[in-house]
Amino acid sequence: MAEQDIIRRSGTTDITPASQARVGGVKKVAKLFDATKCNGCKACQVACSEWNDLREEVGEFSGSYQNPPSLSPECWTLMKYNEIEDAGKLRWQFTHSACMHCADPACLKACSTAGAIIQRANGTVDFDSDKCIGCGYCASACPFDIPKISAKDNKAYKCTLCSDRTAVGLEPSCVKTCTTGALRYGTREDMLFYAEKRVEELKARGYKNAGLYNPEGVGGTAMMMIFHDINDPESYYMPKDPQVPMATEIRQDWLKPLGTAGLIATAAFALMHRITVGRNIVEEDQPGYIDAAAEKEEDSK
Amino acid sequence: MSKQEMIVRHKLFDRLCHWTIVVVGLVTFLTGFSFFYPSFQWLGGIVGTPQLAKVLHPFFGIAMCLLLGLLLIRYYHHNKWDKYDWPWMKAVVWVLLQKEENIPPVGHYNPGQKMLFRAFVIFVIAFIVTGVIMWQPYFAPMFEASTVNWATLIHAACAILMLIAIVVHFWMATWIEGSITGMLYGKVSKAWARKHHPAMLDDFKEEEK
Repeated sequence: MAEQDIIRRSGTTDITPASQARVGGVKKVAKLFDATKCNGCKACQVACSEWNDLREEVGEFSGSYQNPPSLSPECWTLMKYNEIEDAGKLRWQFTHSACMHCADPACLKACSTAGAIIQRANGTVDFDSDKCIGCGYCASACPFDIPKISAKDNKAYKCTLCSDRTAVGLEPSCVKTCTTGALRYGTREDMLFYAEKRVEELKARGYKNAGLYNPEGVGGTAMMMIFHDINDPESYYMPKDPQVPMATEIRQDWLKPLGTAGLIATAAFALMHRITVGRNIVEEDQPGYIDAAAEKEEDSK
Repeated sequence: MSKQEMIVRHKLFDRLCHWTIVVVGLVTFLTGFSFFYPSFQWLGGIVGTPQLAKVLHPFFGIAMCLLLGLLLIRYYHHNKWDKYDWPWMKAVVWVLLQKEENIPPVGHYNPGQKMLFRAFVIFVIAFIVTGVIMWQPYFAPMFEASTVNWATLIHAACAILMLIAIVVHFWMATWIEGSITGMLYGKVSKAWARKHHPAMLDDFKEEEK
């Protein structure tokens, strides 16, 4: 199948980009997680494992309902529980944790393999397990700590935003199952519009710092979040200012071109040197730097 | 050449070690190259598939580093900086231009080779440390993502620098004729030693006594 909705692929130079023929008729989509509506029921986590046929091992109780403790190759959506002390009262904050589908994905930039990570015309980011070699560059580059490498098959896994469902007009399975309406899916435009209204509503209800988490450092994300307090995303286990990491940028934007130039320059210089200076051969009778008398004496030994 | 007296420059063990490193290192570099340049992923095909390249690269890399480490230890005593080195270093342009009358004598290794030696010491240590940190799926999960990411950058930077060093090594070895036969069969002629490493002959005089 020719996947013409792939607009960006990893390990591919700008000279030979992914298919660019489409003119933008495919609308960008977004999943919106409204933390102010979430009650932590985990239906999204279960729906994800159901639809994607994943069964993470049942772990041990460690004082939190959060289980497994983190995302894994067998757990692509995780309900995170954070206990917050607020004016002497205990309050729970829930985070629907899964791939953020960045507009400028660090994983795609870091990837070692052509086409193993792709970005679709609708803005979502997907992994092609068939191509993946399991180097883990995506896992170390992701500012949200999302991709996980499986020790079973040496491949990276993460939420696909149910690309197999969205391709045929369905919403992601987590959204389909959400019990409170905290998860929504639609065009990015619609989600931004809805979020704006919802944030206004929250502000009117007294949540003065309510806001939309759509971090600019990664070009915005196709999973956006509404928080009670946008100034403190860390209380939702989300980074304050996620970026494509500096080490990834240096490696891909600086080391690669400079290193290549250095290599070619050295090889070219060596070749020119060999051709211009010529062979360096030892002549049979060459006296070298020891004077003739000493040489004679030495040779006579 | 036949009449020339030959002297040992590389012992059998060191020669075997050197050429094993060449083979193991070639696999390591081709597979590593395939991760750094996705467009050249086919170079990793030396071991089969890209997936196999990923699995095997660390093992070949460890073998390369251990053997190279061993060779560096064995050649350590030849690579201490000595009185011959500064004058030779100042005349390095004459060395490249092959104006032999202007080149001061050096010992078993010249300063260029000694710098290569030092670079390899750094690379071996850097490769092992960063390589273990980024090794999926065994060790990388034990470290912070940002640590692994920086390790990846340092690993790649060292690899490029080492590749440049190897290009220079190859260039010099093929230019100074007699070097490669020396590394293959162990012996160089006395005339060769006088021309390229005159002070090396002093070591032999001492050994003969």
